[in-house]
Amino acid sequence: MEKQSIQDLGEMEIEEFPDDFQCCVCLDLMYKPVVLACGHISCFWCVFKAMDTYQESHCPICRNPYNHFPRICRLMHFLLLKLYPSAYERRERQVAEEENKYGYRSPQFQDDLLDSPFNKVLDVRDTSSPLVRVVSVDPNSTSGYNSLVQDSSEINSPCEVNATASLMTQISETTNEVNCTIKQDDRNGICKQVSVTDLQCAVCMQLLFRPIVLNCGDVYCEACINKPRDSVFRCPLCQSPHPNGFPNVCLVLDHFLEEHFAEEYSARRESLSKSQNASTSGSSMQTQEQAAQKQGLPGSPYYGPRLDLHHGVGCDYCGVCPIVGVRYKCKDCVEKIGFDLCEDCYLSSSKLPGRFNQQHTQEHRFESIPASYLQVSLMAHEDVVSGEYIRVFRDHSGNVFTMPNLSNNASDDDLENEPSANSSSDDQDNHPAT
Amino acid sequence: MVDFARVQKELQECNRDFEVSGIKVIPTSEANLAHLLGTIPGPSATPYEGGTFNIDITLPHGYPFEPPKMQFATKVWHPNISSQSGAICLDILKDQWSPALTLKTALLSVQALLSAPQPDDPQDAVVAQQYLRDYQTFVSTARYWTESFAMVSSLGVEEKVQKLVEMGFPEASVRNALESVGGDENLALEKLCSC
Repeated sequence: MEKQSIQDLGEMEIEEFPDDFQCCVCLDLMYKPVVLACGHISCFWCVFKAMDTYQESHCPICRNPYNHFPRICRLMHFLLLKLYPSAYERRERQVAEEENKYGYRSPQFQDDLLDSPFNKVLDVRDTSSPLVRVVSVDPNSTSGYNSLVQDSSEINSPCEVNATASLMTQISETTNEVNCTIKQDDRNGICKQVSVTDLQCAVCMQLLFRPIVLNCGDVYCEACINKPRDSVFRCPLCQSPHPNGFPNVCLVLDHFLEEHFAEEYSARRESLSKSQNASTSGSSMQTQEQAAQKQGLPGSPYYGPRLDLHHGVGCDYCGVCPIVGVRYKCKDCVEKIGFDLCEDCYLSSSKLPGRFNQQHTQEHRFESIPASYLQVSLMAHEDVVSGEYIRVFRDHSGNVFTMPNLSNNASDDDLENEPSANSSSDDQDNHPAT
Repeated sequence: MVDFARVQKELQECNRDFEVSGIKVIPTSEANLAHLLGTIPGPSATPYEGGTFNIDITLPHGYPFEPPKMQFATKVWHPNISSQSGAICLDILKDQWSPALTLKTALLSVQALLSAPQPDDPQDAVVAQQYLRDYQTFVSTARYWTESFAMVSSLGVEEKVQKLVEMGFPEASVRNALESVGGDENLALEKLCSC
């Protein structure tokens, strides 16, 4: 194990990445980044492992409370993949190894990637053909797009042609003179390119300015989201509700935009400040509201002692963890992590994929499980044997949101014990349901 | 299992700016990265100035999602540190731990605790009493303890080696032990005995 980690370190030095893109938890390049409502970013598994299993969680950096596990921010996922392909692939291998070991899966983007708006620009699915992402361009070229299209059309790869074609449509769609920023890699002379189209707001179709990331992982300009006064606001693309008020600007992404797209960024700043001057000073009110929200989660169900929650079990649609009230557990999902919904999501018509790549379908049947008081006694138990409580919870509450990391402590022999533990837990679970 | 890749990175990072921070973390043995030895300099303008304090660090299985277990290996006179066991009373080492904190930032906090004692929330009631009732005596006791236990011993390295060899340990392992604990003869003795 140690030898391996040392090896990994050696590999890391092949491709340097800025501290901005270092996950604060694993101290490595962020992999499948998740942006919390406070605007801070961590890896998918790092956020998951750092979440509290029996009350609201807190951001590792700013301690801002949250109770929903956000979806992966795909825009940042593909951005990192383009910027640091070898480091990102190293992380991919590393995480895949870990996932295989523990039998939990993070969302895969192979299939649903086709629907992604970011996919229109360049097809990044096929990691084995680096040509798709790395296109050599004359760095002196002033008209970035033209040279990019010319160069890539010289390469006879089907993927490349696709990419080029979609690029062309993108250009004709936006028509504006969108400059492609070229980043020159000094060491091996390969150009890595990230264009404005990779970093577009789906509402205004322009470069993101002061980006915010919603619970569903979609990214918009702060100014492009109209916040309804009282009701929950929804993502304009996927219609998922975004809980707990307006998110903070993701500063890491904002700094990246400002640094690498300085011209477009300042243009956007100017145009926005003009339109804001024209229409009253609404933004200052908004910041005030935001400040008020920062005090805590106003509608949080977790303040005060709650007895009716499912420790360590999260909802696969909205991401709320732990589930409060009735929990709906899928009876047909075979994945170790299971598939659960909170009551609101069960009653809604959402048809989103699960958060852990479960193969859940609409035909699957659910059973309802009321929160049991048994778990309250376990909570007290947890104080006595801290560190062991995750296992205890898994034994009784079934599965979901048990953390590979913490279950590590029992290492292999724990895994061997699992089948028996699970069968007994099924007994536990079925009692209240029947 | 402890995330050893992260621990490795932390050690590199921490020892890189040792010149600036004066904070050092080293593994107690090559084989076990879960047991480390941290070193912090006593903050200036305190009774701890000039001392070098060793802190024994044990990483729990859940690290970095659980706080590291830290306690002073060097004896220290402080209201929030047990004068007997070296146990530290600090919120970030307990419920206020966050996985974004590192061994270095935790040691920095411990160092900050040395300069800002919290006698109202004591770990060592005797020290806290003294701090509140007779501050001058507290300062001189803390100073005396720093000089006795945290200052680099007047003995040179060779003398320490000789002393330990005279106790019956082989010279090579004595040198190894001394090096791994940063030259503290008492810790080296402990290490030799536990081998």
